[in-house]
Amino acid sequence: MKLETCSSARSALTAVRASLFASACTLAIAFTTAPAAAQTATASRAKAHVDALASDRTEGRLSGSPGERAASDYIIAELKRIGAKPLPGLNEFRIPFDFTAGTKDGGTTVALSCATPAPSCSPRTFSGERDVRALSFSDNTEVSGDLVFAGYGIVVPDAQDFGYDSYATLDVKDKIVLVLRYFPEDADPKAKSILTRYSGLRYKAMAARQRGAKGLIVATGPHSPNAGETIPMSFDTALAGSGVSAASISASVADAIFATLNDREKTLAAAQKGLDSANPHIAGFAIPTVRVTLKPSVLRESRQGNNVFGYLPATTRAVSTSKPWVALGAHYDHLGRGDHGNSLATKEDAGQIHHGADDNASGSAAVLAVGELLAKAPRKRNVLLQFWSGEEIGLLGSAAFVNKPNVPLDQLAAYLNFDMVGRMQDNKLILQATGTSDVWGRLVEQANVAAGFDLLLQSDPYQPTDVASFNQASVPCLNFFTGTHVDYHKPSDTADKINYEDLDRIVEFAAAIARRVIDLETVPIFTKVEQRADPGGGRAGVRVFTGTIPDYSTEVKGLLLSGVIGGGPADAAGLQKGDVVIEIGGQTIANIYDYTYVLETLKVGQGVKVVYTRNGERRETTLTPSARK
Amino acid sequence: MSRGRVGTTVATAIAALAGLTAFGAAQAPSPASSPSTSLSSGSPGSASATTERDFLSRVRRLTIEGKRAGEGYWAPDGKRLVFQSEREPGNPFYQIYVLDLANGEAKRISPGVGKTTCAFFRPNSDEILFASTHHDPKSKQYQEEELSFRASGKERRYSWDYDPEMDIYVASDKTGALRRLTTAKGYDAEASYSPDGQWIVLSSMRDAYNRTLTDKEHKQLETDPSYFAEIYIMKADGSGQKRLTTSPGYDGGPFFNHDGSRIVWRRFDENGLIANVWTMKPDGTDQRQITDFGSMSWAPYEHPSGQYILFASNKLGFENFEVFMVDSAGTKEPVRVTYSDGFDGLPVPSPDGRQLAWTSARSGGSAGQLFLAQWNHEKALDAIRNAPPRQGPKKP
Repeated sequence: MKLETCSSARSALTAVRASLFASACTLAIAFTTAPAAAQTATASRAKAHVDALASDRTEGRLSGSPGERAASDYIIAELKRIGAKPLPGLNEFRIPFDFTAGTKDGGTTVALSCATPAPSCSPRTFSGERDVRALSFSDNTEVSGDLVFAGYGIVVPDAQDFGYDSYATLDVKDKIVLVLRYFPEDADPKAKSILTRYSGLRYKAMAARQRGAKGLIVATGPHSPNAGETIPMSFDTALAGSGVSAASISASVADAIFATLNDREKTLAAAQKGLDSANPHIAGFAIPTVRVTLKPSVLRESRQGNNVFGYLPATTRAVSTSKPWVALGAHYDHLGRGDHGNSLATKEDAGQIHHGADDNASGSAAVLAVGELLAKAPRKRNVLLQFWSGEEIGLLGSAAFVNKPNVPLDQLAAYLNFDMVGRMQDNKLILQATGTSDVWGRLVEQANVAAGFDLLLQSDPYQPTDVASFNQASVPCLNFFTGTHVDYHKPSDTADKINYEDLDRIVEFAAAIARRVIDLETVPIFTKVEQRADPGGGRAGVRVFTGTIPDYSTEVKGLLLSGVIGGGPADAAGLQKGDVVIEIGGQTIANIYDYTYVLETLKVGQGVKVVYTRNGERRETTLTPSARK
Repeated sequence: MSRGRVGTTVATAIAALAGLTAFGAAQAPSPASSPSTSLSSGSPGSASATTERDFLSRVRRLTIEGKRAGEGYWAPDGKRLVFQSEREPGNPFYQIYVLDLANGEAKRISPGVGKTTCAFFRPNSDEILFASTHHDPKSKQYQEEELSFRASGKERRYSWDYDPEMDIYVASDKTGALRRLTTAKGYDAEASYSPDGQWIVLSSMRDAYNRTLTDKEHKQLETDPSYFAEIYIMKADGSGQKRLTTSPGYDGGPFFNHDGSRIVWRRFDENGLIANVWTMKPDGTDQRQITDFGSMSWAPYEHPSGQYILFASNKLGFENFEVFMVDSAGTKEPVRVTYSDGFDGLPVPSPDGRQLAWTSARSGGSAGQLFLAQWNHEKALDAIRNAPPRQGPKKP
């Protein structure tokens, strides 16, 4: 499963998932690990695959690395063994795709020239990442123009009926816009929960561009977390820039700009102070004393990842109607040694091999094992077995496939995805994307009567895994998931912690569903599920760390904790596994989405009342969030 | 529909429940908007250390297809369940399905038209009974009205309407042939067989139609017809219909106990607010009250061991129904079985006493579904043995 970066536009749930774990890496953590799976009488179908894929030899299976090559070699050997073939018209199982493996700043500069001779202005050029750093999605196009300070640069769409537009009174056409990072710091929680949805950097860049601005410069105000610092380049896998020239600047550069105004009311600090109440009538202003030249330089390293596809041809004449293919897939890539920003390793573990036994050797093993079962029985449809690379860095492999499919997408009856299926607890299995077709209710019901899982069905297909790519492509799809855990995205996600007994049950269950799809006379109809995430398409991200680990596999009213991170704020507040958080700072928490929005409104270092239940008893505590970068 | 049907006086308030199949709350409001009463999950009365895991293991959701499902009753061999579900386009009301636990296939055995509810396998036979309104010429019209009402996006504080056309039918599982067993005007439903398959107990509101009502009773019929519901018994062919109860208020949901020596049912008070589990002899004598929670305790079903009765109650909060169990004589305080948000009710143990089927909204969403779990009979017996003697309801 892909770890979401805080600036990306994904579902609220995802944002929480990322944030909950992201700060764990700086803390010493002593967790009890899940017990190894009980020994079964018969050999596990999936165990050999997990052992091979999660071994040291594959070095964490980073996309485009020799470890990825080693893992794909194993998968190809297994595909051949079960009788799968390269796709029709191809000789190879491996299908390469290009991606950006990383971005860095190549020497972005911001030059100030004086618009009119003024004693307070002297021409200067700033460089060096401490003072100027491109935003990772920036174009490398030099832009010059007059400068306008546009407050927080937030535009809340009219449809939200909230009335906040940083540009309402400003003309920024052909100008360069300077904005503050994040959102008004002192807004009340409800206002914050709205503003935060429209405060992502990409969203701010888009808002500026839509009003005709040539470029965007972002400063972090003195009243905000990470005050005065340039913004780290987030990992961005786009192959090209986004059409906007954009950079962040330090406090000293910002101060130099504001100083040209020679007005004590118009400093960065004073401007932020005025804006922080989120009063929509407090506007930005032009800075007519300087002209700015922004020269961004983003270096993008291109690499090649490899998907692996094989197929089991239909044994009987394919169903005459249509859609003669059924696909099953899992990503086999992982984090390598975790140096790409998505590792949650502790300081002690940093740089170690991230084995990714659950994420996602388990899913890859499931696809191989289901494929082997399907290979032994007659088939009315072709079975496509797909192993994705590039998932951890942005669903790149599956996106490459749906953008340039080797099998026409309208020939796919359905797609079954497996991502993290090796840590089942208490018989709980999560099925996601069930809203993508009406057919799933019946097929899953039939198969589960025998399988007997305690199923949690989630209709939402906008998940941080490859099922999202197939949903985008309007293919009925389903994702199998056994929930996240304390070893997620850490070197300690190892093969000995996999619950093989239940993984084998999942394989049987998935094979039963696949068989039913293969035999369907009437093809499943795709149903579009409306996206629940923020319409703004970008959020500032969660800035606080609470150290809670929500339980995603059980739906209760409130937020059930499957644990807390040792030494973290939740731990310090006395929260523990099994507690159900029902209120934070006076806001009712009915579900994980409520929790996400409340999280975004918390302040670092500022205690907040948390109401929770433990064994049915209502309790209160004060939790003091700490900062995450 | 539900053998646990509650009177309409309370049904309006109850409609706020989290999408109860059992209450027909087809468009119930989201649980998130309701007060957090259901979060108080502590065991009431006693600081009993039991939890759901003591009694239930391998909990799983059995039905998935369709909007809602519930009221699952076992075939005598334990290999199938008959249940009601809304799962076919065109009919927004329950129909009756038989679920084969070997292959997961669900087959409809009711006509598909109109409303149905409360099915039961006839022992030593291929017959299955249920209540249905399909003979009503207006059935399709009602279906279309309900569908267009839903399409309009409006929400109804839906309540079970005690359709007076509801009558008892028997379908042959092999041939599909249908026989009608009751014809009386007034709701006839909530029927079940004796263990030998020779007798049927049911709940009927015919008393509201077969005599002259006082003005007060007329008003009662308009606001809450369930007030007139009484328990009846008849032979399996529908002959010899005989009334067993006469107390004012809704008597419903009758089942024979394990050996057919008694009938267990639930009785509402006159106001339709408080219900309790009762038992009586099949001739209507020796009526005994088994529970005294001062809340709505209903949907009782005896464990095949004969030692205890499972039932549902909202003792812990108006919207939070949980499954409880009590010794068959009702001498002890009931023991709580389920611990989850939202609705848990209509518990039915398997014929071997080792599994429990029930209806729950624990999977989230707005409607109940059938659930299944392994049942720990030994732990249940222990817990009942250790339960304190029965206390009455706490007086406010």
